[in-house]
Amino acid sequence: MSAPQIPNLLASRGGPRSRGGRGRGRGGGSTHAQNRKDLDVQATDTDAAVSRLSAVSLGYFNDPSATYFVNGAGTRRLPIINRGTYTRTTALDILINAFLSESNDTPPQKRQIISLGAGTDTRYFRLRATNKHRNLIYHEFDFPSVSTTKSRIVASNESLSKGDGNATLFVEPKKPTESDSDPDPEWGFRDLREGESETIYCCHPLDLRRLPYAPSMKELNSFHGIQSDIPTLLISECCLCYLETDNARDVVKWFADRIPSLGIVLYEPIGVDSPFGQTMVANLAARNITMPTVKVYKNLRDQKDRLSEVGFTDSDGGQGGETIERIWDQWVSPEEKERVDSLEGLDEVEEWQVMARHYAVVWGWRGSGWDSWKELL
Amino acid sequence: MSDLDRAIAQLRACRPIPEAQVRELCHKARELLIEEGNVVTVTAPVTICGDIHGQFHDLMELFRVGGDVPDTNYLFMGDFVDRGFYSLESFLLLLCLKVRYPDRMTLIRGNHESRQITTVYGFYDECLRKYGSANVWRYCCEVFDYLALGAIVLGASTSLGESKGLRPENLSSTQQDDEGIEIELLNHTGGVIDRFPRGQARNGARSSPSTKSSSSPAAKTGPPDPAPGPQARSTARRSNVRSPLVRPRRDRRLGPLPARAGFLFGADIVKVFNHANDLSMIARAHQLVMEGFKEMFDNSIVTVWSAPNYCYRCGNIAAILELSEDSSGESMLARSNGDVNRSDGGVMKGNDKVLLAGPARRYRVFQAAPQDSRGMPAKKPVADYFL
Repeated sequence: MSAPQIPNLLASRGGPRSRGGRGRGRGGGSTHAQNRKDLDVQATDTDAAVSRLSAVSLGYFNDPSATYFVNGAGTRRLPIINRGTYTRTTALDILINAFLSESNDTPPQKRQIISLGAGTDTRYFRLRATNKHRNLIYHEFDFPSVSTTKSRIVASNESLSKGDGNATLFVEPKKPTESDSDPDPEWGFRDLREGESETIYCCHPLDLRRLPYAPSMKELNSFHGIQSDIPTLLISECCLCYLETDNARDVVKWFADRIPSLGIVLYEPIGVDSPFGQTMVANLAARNITMPTVKVYKNLRDQKDRLSEVGFTDSDGGQGGETIERIWDQWVSPEEKERVDSLEGLDEVEEWQVMARHYAVVWGWRGSGWDSWKELL
Repeated sequence: MSDLDRAIAQLRACRPIPEAQVRELCHKARELLIEEGNVVTVTAPVTICGDIHGQFHDLMELFRVGGDVPDTNYLFMGDFVDRGFYSLESFLLLLCLKVRYPDRMTLIRGNHESRQITTVYGFYDECLRKYGSANVWRYCCEVFDYLALGAIVLGASTSLGESKGLRPENLSSTQQDDEGIEIELLNHTGGVIDRFPRGQARNGARSSPSTKSSSSPAAKTGPPDPAPGPQARSTARRSNVRSPLVRPRRDRRLGPLPARAGFLFGADIVKVFNHANDLSMIARAHQLVMEGFKEMFDNSIVTVWSAPNYCYRCGNIAAILELSEDSSGESMLARSNGDVNRSDGGVMKGNDKVLLAGPARRYRVFQAAPQDSRGMPAKKPVADYFL
């Protein structure tokens, strides 16, 4: 379209550090192809960051830190993409704010968010900017190269690294393991809470695919600062869809087996059998990107069933799901729609509908602490 | 070989022509277009095409399917530019063909043929990228200002002539339950894969065909511009028609469009408009239909969409609409632009609801050009998604 493609910055920065498929558990001739593929998946984070900055610059939503994670001035996306970015962000905001609003209880209940494949996502900094992070511990998982890039950006930017009172940046070396003799350090922010130093934000450099199978990661406490006894929300915004179906399920199960009060939000494409869906699969394949799970979970029903299979059952919790099309129609107020529409003017209603119908936000929960989510349905 | 023919050959190969040549071409085009009315008259046979949106290789596909210029008489309803990678080549080729064969090529203005829209949706950026300055964009925009806003097709037949394609053997003549409408599915060389009369169509509109009757003097194309019809019993006043957009709507009211881009018209307005202007059918574009075309409101209006796999992303098929010539000569009527017999501004009376049957129409449905014909490296990312 009008936007020239942005070079894959993360791939070029992270490239020299990937040191021959270190710790990926894959050997032989497939390593190179696999690394190539991983870099292509990591490049989707650049897509997301550029799209976020585009929507923010045009006034779709507020995110002062969006600009720090894009090299250069960014690219203006087409109105349809901006509206998609807006709607997806709004959907996640609504679910996350509902989750956090429960901590209005007295005494405030501490909560935890674990963002899978977060990349250069700015959600933590957005929460911080609106002071919603006070009773929250925020974790991010992503490839070591992505995590390292992010740590470099955060460390070198004062408003990111020093923007939160007395919170200080830390780097926590990891112990070497059998499969990884030189693991990348975990890093994040610490702050004084109730007189004690506590980790409030932490990035874990890890190829998530290994999580369910590595002997060194049997326990939750193999990761710095993750707690098992507080309500915890797992977020996967276009992350698990790049994993093999079994692998994706095992990753979710890994957390479900260790954290009793757990919620999950997935954002991924659906409807791959339609002409639009088939074109999407083919176009992404041309970028060397495959999405195994979307071939299995084809509609909202499949997605919700998928969640109940890993423990988000009706007996102990529940599931919900909407397409981006419906979220725009139903969750965005008429006044807000008018405001957003006036920013650019989206001239192609039918194209929006067909595209927005092919993305879904699905959520599930189990255990206590999810009353505000029940009210969403 | 004239300069113009050389330019056509170069553009057909999807190579832009030099800036000076664009300037000259646009100048010639303006001289030509200034002589044409805001609503131009076109005589059948004619092939009506919808949006192109810079999908150059699919435009070549369209010519393979519909026949080449000047063999086929074309009417393009606009939106030549924006969205696709080759707005410049697509529009300049069409403009060259217009200048070279003025009587075989009609271009009308779509909503993307504007300075404002092209700066948002890609044509401006493309010109800047390909020429290093906005001059070519400026020349093209000046041409946009001179494009007609609508066209009236005269002399369309009520029965289909022999198709240029080959008749598939599995289709017997008795299967033709509606001889007035036919759909052909075409492969990428323009050969007929399948052909079926309207009654069996799975794609396209679900409404029942009603084109058995005789007189069909005109099919109007493009925005419903309120030009008086040939035997105009009544005429919609200009102020009654606010927008070229007609969107499907089950209820009969009209109201502003959600994005405030115009007004939403329903079946009643379309029928009143057709009646008032003595039109049998409106052809329009600029609304994506996954099936390539869609007739609505008892076949009083059709949307034609000619950009297959729109934005390289939507997975839709495309269509062009062929109207054949009425050999009887009866439907050739002189059109009057005078005020004779004008009446009440288009208010329909209760016993007045006699609709003209539409012209016979053949939809040629086609898919996007195969990837290898695009001359693009396969790995180049082609479309944005929400990732």
